[in-house]
Amino acid sequence: MAHIKVTRRSMRPEEWTQLRFGWLKRHIYQKKYEIKSLQIRDARQVAEMEYEYYSEDYRPLQRGDMYFTPDGTAFIRGDVAIPEELIGQELWFSLKTAAEIIVKVNGKYVGGVDPNRERILLTPYLAPDAKELHFEMQGYNRSKPDDERNPESLSVRGCRQIFEGAYLVTVNHVVQDLVYDLELLLNIAESDLFNEDYRAFLTRELDHALNLIDFEDESLPGLREAKQYIDTVIYANDDYKGSGDVALIAHSHLDIAYYWRRIHSVQKNLRTILIQLRLMDRYPEFKYTHTQAYTYETLEKYYPEVFEELKEKIKAGQFEPVGAMYVEPDCNIPAAESLIRQCLYGQQYFREKFGITVHNCWLPDVFGNSWVLPQILKKSGVDYFVSNKMSTWNDTNRFPHNNFIWRGIDGSEVYACVPPTHFITWNMPTQIQENWNAYQDKNTGGQTLSMFGYGDGGSGCTEEMIELMRRFDKLSIMPKTEHTSAQDFLEKNLKGNTALQKWDGELYLEMHRGTFTTKAELKRGNRRLEYKLREAEIISTLRALAGEAYPHETLTACWKKLLLNQFHDILPGSHITPVYRDAMADYAEIDQMLDDVIGTGEQYFNSLNFTRTALTFFDDPMGDSTRYGKKGFWCRPNLPALASGSVYPSSEVCDAWCFVNAFDVETPFYRITFSKDGSILSLYDKELLREWTDGAFNELKIYEDKPGVYDAWDILPNYKERTITPEVKVPLHFTEKNAEVAVFACTLQFGNSVWERLIRVFRQSRGIEVENVVDWHEKHRLAKAEFSCNVLTREAVCDLGAGFIKRETHRNTDWQKARFEVCHHKWCDLSETDGGVALLNDGKYGVGFLENTMSLSLLRSTIRPDPTSDMGTHRFCYMILPHAGDAVSAEVNKTALQYNIPLVKADVSCENTFDGLFLQAMKLSEDGRMVVVRLSEQDGRRGVLHLPKEVKLLNMLEDIEGESAEIPYTPFAILTLGIPIEQK
Amino acid sequence: MKDYVETVIRPKIQGDGGEVRFSALQDGELTLIFQGECSKCLILDRCVRWIEAEIGRDLGERVHIHAVRKKPFFWDN
Repeated sequence: MAHIKVTRRSMRPEEWTQLRFGWLKRHIYQKKYEIKSLQIRDARQVAEMEYEYYSEDYRPLQRGDMYFTPDGTAFIRGDVAIPEELIGQELWFSLKTAAEIIVKVNGKYVGGVDPNRERILLTPYLAPDAKELHFEMQGYNRSKPDDERNPESLSVRGCRQIFEGAYLVTVNHVVQDLVYDLELLLNIAESDLFNEDYRAFLTRELDHALNLIDFEDESLPGLREAKQYIDTVIYANDDYKGSGDVALIAHSHLDIAYYWRRIHSVQKNLRTILIQLRLMDRYPEFKYTHTQAYTYETLEKYYPEVFEELKEKIKAGQFEPVGAMYVEPDCNIPAAESLIRQCLYGQQYFREKFGITVHNCWLPDVFGNSWVLPQILKKSGVDYFVSNKMSTWNDTNRFPHNNFIWRGIDGSEVYACVPPTHFITWNMPTQIQENWNAYQDKNTGGQTLSMFGYGDGGSGCTEEMIELMRRFDKLSIMPKTEHTSAQDFLEKNLKGNTALQKWDGELYLEMHRGTFTTKAELKRGNRRLEYKLREAEIISTLRALAGEAYPHETLTACWKKLLLNQFHDILPGSHITPVYRDAMADYAEIDQMLDDVIGTGEQYFNSLNFTRTALTFFDDPMGDSTRYGKKGFWCRPNLPALASGSVYPSSEVCDAWCFVNAFDVETPFYRITFSKDGSILSLYDKELLREWTDGAFNELKIYEDKPGVYDAWDILPNYKERTITPEVKVPLHFTEKNAEVAVFACTLQFGNSVWERLIRVFRQSRGIEVENVVDWHEKHRLAKAEFSCNVLTREAVCDLGAGFIKRETHRNTDWQKARFEVCHHKWCDLSETDGGVALLNDGKYGVGFLENTMSLSLLRSTIRPDPTSDMGTHRFCYMILPHAGDAVSAEVNKTALQYNIPLVKADVSCENTFDGLFLQAMKLSEDGRMVVVRLSEQDGRRGVLHLPKEVKLLNMLEDIEGESAEIPYTPFAILTLGIPIEQK
Repeated sequence: MKDYVETVIRPKIQGDGGEVRFSALQDGELTLIFQGECSKCLILDRCVRWIEAEIGRDLGERVHIHAVRKKPFFWDN
């Protein structure tokens, strides 16, 4: 006989309980008075605090009306007399909305409403004799993609909303209390994370409790009895024991830009802070953590009255600034100096405004973390590092620790916490239990960290989260919980904990590998401006020492704007179209400001602290070469370290240095055989007497790149499965030659795109440069340049900006397999001990390695979040640099620095050249009393820096920590020195 | 009309993570292609009516919009 599955059609006890729970929730409001006098004015935000309005004036807003427009902000106002029946009672404002609305009543910010909260307590913020209420509201329509985290808000997503009415209400606290009890208990009863018998007990006893309420009577007799039953039967029961120890830390993650522009985050941040302040007013035990000095800055600038309240709550220990940085930056792409400035300007703000140094770095959402970070943190007053993604997002391996010690490239160590679960939770028992279950350091790490609070304008914690938290201790089945501050948690569990395990290496996120490449122009612009800022600061400092004014405010403004755009959904490219436009406009503004700072001079200034001899292109309208579409000339400058000098095109007559015979080319260094598509079939080194190619070399590869919903973020390991072969539209041909360079060009075509390759070989350089001019109109394509090298090695060496990392090129383990695409900075290299091939770039970060092959990621074409991402014209260069010895002995890093730092004219010089270390930055100290010199050891060597006079030894916050003229350094150390101005 | 859609309406739609492109205008029927978040919006019809009203207000033309959703493959289920 066939088995017949029986589906129960009658109501199960659990369903009956849920039904009555729904009925109960309808009685939360005791009295409800509709406000019918509201008016609305639709607008669109165009800049911080600036709006374009759709109409000259307000229009009436009634229940059932449409409100909000695409990308819309709405201003709502209204006056209402408090009804007689509500006078003297605890008064609330209620508005159910999909938008994010800030509410001001009688001139006071009283709170906010959004999909996660629909009412605001008014009484404490009104004058005792208030009879009239004047409402002023500002709403930004919440139409973001991640609301799935809170399923209740999913159904109300969209640009045009229906106004559901606004009300003055009173709350029946007995009902509300019971609703919170049921929220808590039903969450456990419905989850298989908890003991089965306990859940059966809950199901049975909740039914009994609700049986005490007469739901047919509108006044709900039996409410108190039901509450008492829950207290005495359910909460009093301790027969069922849970285990675990979970620290609950309130936090609201805020993407400064993502599916909204940074101009909108000013209000998102205000609402978030305001709502948390109002919760603190009501719940004295409530503590909340908030990151990003930038967000505090905007609050101070635009909402000073709320900022004053915030300062009081910080003093009281309820509001805790966390994360020492200016914003939560991407931690793969920015240069070490940028990460230092994130700390410098972040800590400077917290010190100035609140009198505190923040000792933790709080980056819950960033896409992996560079190995250079521990040193930077440690030298910026930060002992603790918190970041969630590796535990919850890795696609291949389970990151083995949650509470541990992270050891950086130079050996610096910080305490680290990678919480086991997501940074956005709503503090439900199941989420807390899930966190404990996933926690891997149960026996060594102390408590596990669970963050709770909605993010991104969802505005943090809710009354419900705190009310539930007040009940956790009553449940023996739950892990032990402690609501605490971030710093208390870190110090209690990590500080001095000798049992902690150690992770020595980068914190690579096994996901979001596409963010090293998506939105190529942002990456290139960021790289260029990082070095331009370096140049501007060094030149300005040297001019200041000669008596000129130091443009401190301008340079700080440029830094802050650049740091802002290094936010982890801006620089990585994971944002909507307008965010990209904002960033590019910011870059243009920084560029112009720095041009004004740098000015000009008679001679070229070498800002590098070593002699500059690498072949360099100089813009010159009269020049006989072209690069990046500009006329100029190639020249080996021979400029001493930190000195100015003249540069002239070579006057040597050198016609016979490059011989071309169809695709065969001979230079002083190589015999090259090209293919018609610009790839190199053979690259024979005449000096080193060896062949460098072993298969496809400098071949342009186009792959189908369909990672799925996280389109801008991810590249999947299967991207190589489908390739698109470009058609050679114009085969490689010789185009120009002068005394220094010979150029070959070809044009490839595929899909809707045209790709021109200009290949340059040089008389006086071992480098072979490839300039790419691309008219890019693809969807879901990844372009890479691939280099199969005749090199036997198991390690690739990758520049990290302040040192290098070695990465295995084989796929022996899952850890190596997962790292099929990694982030590097200016160069990467495959070498044997006596020779290898380096690949230098001027703004590319993604690269893959497999055995003897390097594949440099050039362009992507993603459609989410930005359907227009990367479309249009791109110009970029990379350089192939075969060399003797390994990457360090070949001084690849020095060549890459020269490749990335254009020479500018400025008539300055510096006596000290700090030999042996790289001059990463030179600036006036923030107090203007010292010249700050930042030096980084980039080759993995140790030594001693000998200086003519004693200098101050500083941390990265420019605090004086010592004094010496002989300064020992270790591999990859970053030193910060302070030279008092009078000493020069 | 094309210019209006691309320069006035489109930036607003993009501000919400959506995308709209002009396709055709014939006999008062304006065909628009919706991509990005718009392609899966449950209440796109409300937005479409709003665009019709904006066109009426700014250009003085009455159009009926034929909204074509172009969903990316990863939402195509």
